[in-house]
Amino acid sequence: MKTSRLQATVFLGALALAAWPGAVPAPKSDIDYEIFARLPILEGGRVKPLDSFARSALLSIRGKQSVPVDGRALSATRWLLDATFKPETADTYPAFVIDDPEVLGLLGLASGKSRYFAYWQIEPKREEVSKQAASADQQSSGRRSRFQDALLNLNNRLTLYERIKNTFMISGQGDPALELAAFTSLLPRALSAFHSNNPTDKDRRAMKALAEMLQRYQFLAQAGAFKALPPKAGAPADAWSNTGEALSNPMSGRDPHPGLASFARMGRAYRAADAAAFNAALAEHAAWIARNRPDAARAAFAEALFNKSSPFVSGMALYLTALLLIFAAWATRRADVAAAGRALAWAAFAVHTLGLLARTVLQGRPPVTNLYSSAVFVGWASAILGLVSERFHKRGFAVAGACAIGFTTLLIAHHLSASGDTLEMMRAVLDSNFWLATHVVAITIGYSSTYLAGMLGIAWVVRRHLLLKPDPETSKALASLAYGVIAFSLLFSFVGTVLGGIWADQSWGRFWGWDPKENGALLIVLWNALILHARWGGYVRERGIMLMTIFGNIIVSLSWFGVNMLGIGLHSYGFMDKAFLWLSAFCALQLALMCLGALPPRFWTEARRP
Amino acid sequence: MRRNDALSWLIDALSSLRLTLVCLILLMVLIVACTLAQVQLGTHLAVERYIRALLVWWSPEGSALRVPVFPGGGLVGGILLINLMFAQFRRLELSWRKGGLWIVHIGLALLFIGEFATALFQVESNMAIEEGQTKSYSEDYRRMELAVVDDTDKEFDDERGIPDSLLKSRREISDASLPFQLVVHAYHDNAALTRSRPGSPPSIVTAGVGGGMSFEPLPPAAGDNDQNTAVAVVEPVLKNGTSLGVFLLSNGLGAPQGFIHEGRSWKLALRLRHYQHPFSLTLKDFRHDLYPGTDIPKNFSSLVRLKDPRAGDDRDVLIYMNSPLRHDGLTFYQASFGKNDTLSILQVVRNPSWTLPYLSCALVGLGLLWHFALMLRKSLRERST
Repeated sequence: MKTSRLQATVFLGALALAAWPGAVPAPKSDIDYEIFARLPILEGGRVKPLDSFARSALLSIRGKQSVPVDGRALSATRWLLDATFKPETADTYPAFVIDDPEVLGLLGLASGKSRYFAYWQIEPKREEVSKQAASADQQSSGRRSRFQDALLNLNNRLTLYERIKNTFMISGQGDPALELAAFTSLLPRALSAFHSNNPTDKDRRAMKALAEMLQRYQFLAQAGAFKALPPKAGAPADAWSNTGEALSNPMSGRDPHPGLASFARMGRAYRAADAAAFNAALAEHAAWIARNRPDAARAAFAEALFNKSSPFVSGMALYLTALLLIFAAWATRRADVAAAGRALAWAAFAVHTLGLLARTVLQGRPPVTNLYSSAVFVGWASAILGLVSERFHKRGFAVAGACAIGFTTLLIAHHLSASGDTLEMMRAVLDSNFWLATHVVAITIGYSSTYLAGMLGIAWVVRRHLLLKPDPETSKALASLAYGVIAFSLLFSFVGTVLGGIWADQSWGRFWGWDPKENGALLIVLWNALILHARWGGYVRERGIMLMTIFGNIIVSLSWFGVNMLGIGLHSYGFMDKAFLWLSAFCALQLALMCLGALPPRFWTEARRP
Repeated sequence: MRRNDALSWLIDALSSLRLTLVCLILLMVLIVACTLAQVQLGTHLAVERYIRALLVWWSPEGSALRVPVFPGGGLVGGILLINLMFAQFRRLELSWRKGGLWIVHIGLALLFIGEFATALFQVESNMAIEEGQTKSYSEDYRRMELAVVDDTDKEFDDERGIPDSLLKSRREISDASLPFQLVVHAYHDNAALTRSRPGSPPSIVTAGVGGGMSFEPLPPAAGDNDQNTAVAVVEPVLKNGTSLGVFLLSNGLGAPQGFIHEGRSWKLALRLRHYQHPFSLTLKDFRHDLYPGTDIPKNFSSLVRLKDPRAGDDRDVLIYMNSPLRHDGLTFYQASFGKNDTLSILQVVRNPSWTLPYLSCALVGLGLLWHFALMLRKSLRERST
């Protein structure tokens, strides 16, 4: 087969594979989970599909997007359905991840085989957890012990779960449709009793019953984790409500929100395992939304599709496969394997690009808005840089670097997504598309290119020790490629840093405040400038430059993630705790590679085997 | 000849690339040290100690000894700037090929000069206005002043502010417009102020509310949000030597203190320094919008009425995030809020060099583009031959 045809086949095949999860219909089931997952809700200040909320909630509670129940993985949406309509069942799912031994001790649980526990196991000590968390909350975040941090974290997750349970109905209330019927039949009598001048005993009982119900609904209005009832046509677009708010709304007597009845019927049907009735109520509600709030329905549909196709997971797999193919090509010296690897890398990049574009369109913002999206973007920019650089020196190093960074950054992003909604709303000071598009993008491109240069440095060092035949020409080509990438990096990191200063001047009244994030950015600029000047003055040659680019990896990593851990150190919990260890390990690895590169030539394989 | 040798050696050294590299490395070390120190010291103090200093001092635990251990940011930055200029004129020929680098280095020099100018000339203060209130002064964040106010006239307060630097350096302060001198018995940047207990040493304070108080000097507060409680013991003395009482003044004491002399009522207060402006701002409306169903702030904005009789200004201005008001060399930013969203706090900055970074960014960006584009063309040409 000709190389170009091989490449085209690999490229298209990989794209088709990546499109599979989005295109494949959901497995046949009685209940129409997909339509339920696509229902728009308002949470975290924005309209999103239920699916997005369910995923990020389960991710923050359990650290994964599914729960194993009876040997099968329960999707986030199904978990949410159980938690909202059948909380007594959901309470038995092992949905809480608890690592801290002291917290486990407090709960009286054994850290045996599993780190996952069910709500009912924690429930007996719930009061104790709240009490301890309240006292831990008094401490400022830097001064808390590891135990206190872990406890606060658990308390937050428990609260989130309890709010979810009290979203559509009061947890443990029984049949929601009966309750709604009782309320709607009681309301007119109680209201007329309220206005009557000489109420009868029956009237008084009705008023008392109504007061009790309204009190419950006010609790529900406070507790609900999200607002599932869109504003009626004509109401302001922000005026979403949850079940409790809609019920305690004074208008609910005359003109109740139609969604109330739909959700109540869904709840009754779900509890009775009556799939047909559930689907009917669901379809009715979905149709009402499509009629009254078509924009919300569309947005939720698009985002749910994006969630389902999970382009970054496919991208990650493709990058890794491409990287392995390129390694195989180096080992076997086969041109067709190398060509296939390159095609696969382009496919991975295409999937990555589509994911990035989809996110940008969904959010209506420039690509980088938080730490999560910075990871996605750093990988993307490194990948395009590497793929383009490959055109200058066709030896596979730039592509390998691109794949390695693409894979790693998507993996980091995947772990970062556990901290919550990745399409979150921007806080007031960050709410500026102009600066997000210029400063943030320039800075992250600076990160990407510095990493790419670092990867080339690593390739240079590793080659020296593995290569059988000396090949100074390739080494030289790598060095000149790295030099070009550093120049590019200096341009973007400098412009990005100064633009950041200008943004700060616009919003805080100071150009430069020497705060940790700014210092981190400045260090990258200085380091790149240092490399270029040292090379220009002849103080470092090929090897020196390559070792310096590896050190650049450390500097970028510290200014990207390290400053977020400042003053937290080992005291943190959850992702940042693990991330701290990974970051330290990464930096140690870079230092080790630098030492390896600094060994005198007689240690190099390249020099030993003439 | 000797002198010329020494001079040319100095010029060589000052323009050498080696010096550039050493300075860059020192700067990186300083930045890392400053960043790490912020955890303990807070940003302001760490920057003062590492960056805005000529030398970094270290004193061993519990000793008054101060040893310079490292060049500070001011010194390294200054040398780097000199080095940049010398190298520019000595080594870099003026040609199209090097034009990009010229522009980059000029831009960098501007950035450095801008940062030095900011360190020297920038004055930050804040203005807290309640809705409906009009203000024509702003307050410093840290620096204190002794306010001497003649409030005999109910309509108008005649104010004088004596900066804390004078309180620290002078024992006696006189002002031609005051009928008395001020004798400063003590001044501390920060102190713990407590009610005197039985057995406390007798106080020299004879007037005002400070008689029953004692104080213990403290090191200045470290955190960026911690406020110092400054204390001054001040005695107004008439020209003939008669004392009008010894006062204990502090920004930690709320009650006004004063005395009446020759039918005029005088008030003394130690407060954050006031900066009077020749114009006034009236807060008409403060808005604090949230995203629906959350407490994530979406927007903060202050609608103010700006009145400046000199410029003939009388107009409404909306100050919001990323959109400050620039007027009369000052910039007003939306910084904070309080009192149930009826109080808006504006940050007020006077920084005459605020435009330099804009210019510098444009120059360096263009210069680097120019230079790297030339290099890329050259490298592509070499490859094609």
